[in-house]
Amino acid sequence: MSPQKILFSPVTRLSGLLSVELSLDNGIITEADVSSTMFRGFEYIMRNRHITDAVYLTQRICGICSTAHGAVASYLLDQLYDNDISENAQILRNIMFGADFLQNHIRHFYFFGLPDFVIMPNQPPFLNQNCSDCRLDDIDNRRLAGHYIDAIKAAEKSHQILALFGGKAPHQHSFVHGGVAVAPTADKINQALALIHDIRNFVQLYMMPDTELISRCYEDYFHIGETPGRFLSFGLFRFGNKNNQVLWKPGILNGCRLDQPQLDFIQEDISRAWFERSESTEQGEVRPAPRKPGAYSWTKAVLYRGQHYEGGPLARMTINGFYNGGTSTMDRIVARSLETLYITELVEEWLHELEPGEPPINQKKELVQDQALSVTDAMRGPLLHSTRLQGEQIERYDIITPTSWNFSPKDDYGNRGPAETALVGTEISAPEFKFVIPGRIIRSFDPCISCATHLFDHRTNTIDKILY
Amino acid sequence: MEKNEFLQLCRDNSLAGNHKLSARILPVVREYLLDHSTDKLPVIWLETSDSGDNNIAFMNATYPYLNHVFTNMIDLIYSNTFMAAQGSDALLLLEDTVNHFRGRFTLVVEGAVPTKDRGIYNVIARTKNGPITALEAITRLGEAAQHVIAIGTCASFGGASSAAPNVTGSVGVSQVLEREVINVSGCPVNPDWFVGTLAHLLMYGKPELDEYNRPKLFYGFTVHHHCQRRSYFDKKDFAKQLGDIECMFSQGCSGPRTGSDCPYRQWINHVSWPVKVNTPCIGCTNPDFPDGSAPFFSPLPQKSKAEKDDNHKQPPMTEGEV
Repeated sequence: MSPQKILFSPVTRLSGLLSVELSLDNGIITEADVSSTMFRGFEYIMRNRHITDAVYLTQRICGICSTAHGAVASYLLDQLYDNDISENAQILRNIMFGADFLQNHIRHFYFFGLPDFVIMPNQPPFLNQNCSDCRLDDIDNRRLAGHYIDAIKAAEKSHQILALFGGKAPHQHSFVHGGVAVAPTADKINQALALIHDIRNFVQLYMMPDTELISRCYEDYFHIGETPGRFLSFGLFRFGNKNNQVLWKPGILNGCRLDQPQLDFIQEDISRAWFERSESTEQGEVRPAPRKPGAYSWTKAVLYRGQHYEGGPLARMTINGFYNGGTSTMDRIVARSLETLYITELVEEWLHELEPGEPPINQKKELVQDQALSVTDAMRGPLLHSTRLQGEQIERYDIITPTSWNFSPKDDYGNRGPAETALVGTEISAPEFKFVIPGRIIRSFDPCISCATHLFDHRTNTIDKILY
Repeated sequence: MEKNEFLQLCRDNSLAGNHKLSARILPVVREYLLDHSTDKLPVIWLETSDSGDNNIAFMNATYPYLNHVFTNMIDLIYSNTFMAAQGSDALLLLEDTVNHFRGRFTLVVEGAVPTKDRGIYNVIARTKNGPITALEAITRLGEAAQHVIAIGTCASFGGASSAAPNVTGSVGVSQVLEREVINVSGCPVNPDWFVGTLAHLLMYGKPELDEYNRPKLFYGFTVHHHCQRRSYFDKKDFAKQLGDIECMFSQGCSGPRTGSDCPYRQWINHVSWPVKVNTPCIGCTNPDFPDGSAPFFSPLPQKSKAEKDDNHKQPPMTEGEV
């Protein structure tokens, strides 16, 4: 077979717009260009606004993980105003954040991932499914396809918990700087407990066995879509009156070496992204350049000590010692389901720890610093917000999203990002698998391209040194 | 295809054991479905420049739940988020739908349309013949559709995607089409507003629209008009901070100039809404959201756009209320 190109566009069942170009030689993927094809320029949008708007406006970056942006912006504001966060507020924030994780993971597994492995009823929106390698027997297949409907309710209930305390979803309102505006009353706690009970049942009785069955039937995917084992997490679920304790620890894992992440090792690389440095401004500001030759994505490459790193549930589970597997497509899927189960248990535990009472919020009014940086993990990987202010107006607001790590295009040296690395070397054993196999690999990262539609410019970033 | 022909096709391929059967039959079945699903609304859903929040909101629909909407109300043939097909197989469905249902399908657009540099900031798919921009796709599909629904504030009016300085020249769908667009705004949309609009189209035809082309049924009165805290406002009993139970006007509430039924409809199985959790309405259904609501936590008279009053998109405050 002579070398051939496969244009995989659009990659469906994800948030945002993604195209992938694959080179195939003798049935093996020899090159992959992963291209995000939308740009919104959110960091330009953030400029010259009042800093407190960040907590609501940055949520509009991403509809499926909006609470992650709201959370990290709240932590950022807590620093800028030197807020003290009460214990009830810490717990409530984590309940809301956890509930949004559950919504994301359940929807990713059933709505986006399931049609990769299960034959769905041949009606809209499942027409032309082309699942040419679906291996479940009839009974199992029918059962799992039916769970799509159960997942609709379980995910909706996760957002009910978020809305009970956050007012609405996506883009919750009450998790703001200084704490949480809602009163955790007995009725709300009780209602949320009933909801988490149902969600936990769903995860235990459906999602975990379904994951197990799929991982057994598609065991070869424990060796397909592997990455080099470089994992990054900024940690997850913050406690402490200054957001200083992290429940799931941060880490940068390279092979067996686990370190604390340090911001000054993070660099961006725009060589293959549609951006250029403007010579006209003193700081060499990065500007969109949609016609730049050789570029193929709106996502920039983000590097740590010159290397690409992967984030997400597998990175978190591995760094924290909750999962001890490989780095493959199926490892990513299994780790995500495992994380879902852990979070249902945490949310239930936190609900029991809540003290009914007044809204746990205390916003200080005076800024104590004019720049800040905060991090968390979002559902799909590490998330960073940093800002520099002029008074209370935003001068710069920089964001590095998980997609910038996982869906990095190649850097200046031609090194591939994690998703590209996972694709290259994969065998496409028959023509009818040309979308099936790459689709499974790509979706295991839980891509969210809305996330990546931004700018980050490390050269003008004024915050440096160690994160922790 | 006749029944006998179909059975012969099945017999010929049943022993091959290499998935050729489904490969042959799927297009036949697809054609059958495309021809026979006229009782529901055939829908093409395009995601353009937004955060994907409106399809997440759509997944939060209750009574009818998402599966009921799929089974009883719409045939969601093309949707980047939900469709099983991928790559060129997905684009094929898009073409099929336009060919089979010209003038009969509903186009749902989620997101703003970048217009700068001929729309290159949003490419819905790449093909061998080049990229298909959102601008191009919407222009083409918009002409062929029976109804066009803009879901969310980005698609309706530009929204956050077109917020200043709008480097991509993003606009709402109605600004690139010379035809009627039903705007179902919100950041995100409340699923009731969207599913309710579909229900109206199915059961009673086009709903009555307001001056911004939104169904009056949902957007006809302001948040302020409906608000449970209206009595506090009337007594000038204002919250001192977020978390208080009094009127949120002092905390930046845009309710007096925001058309929507949030206060009594509420969100996610109708459990809550922003003012109920002691925070201000930020006017996310408005044509000038987010710029016209900024700064979010400053009272209306102090908001940046409200002062200038130079934006033609800006809705006025409800007469006699403030």
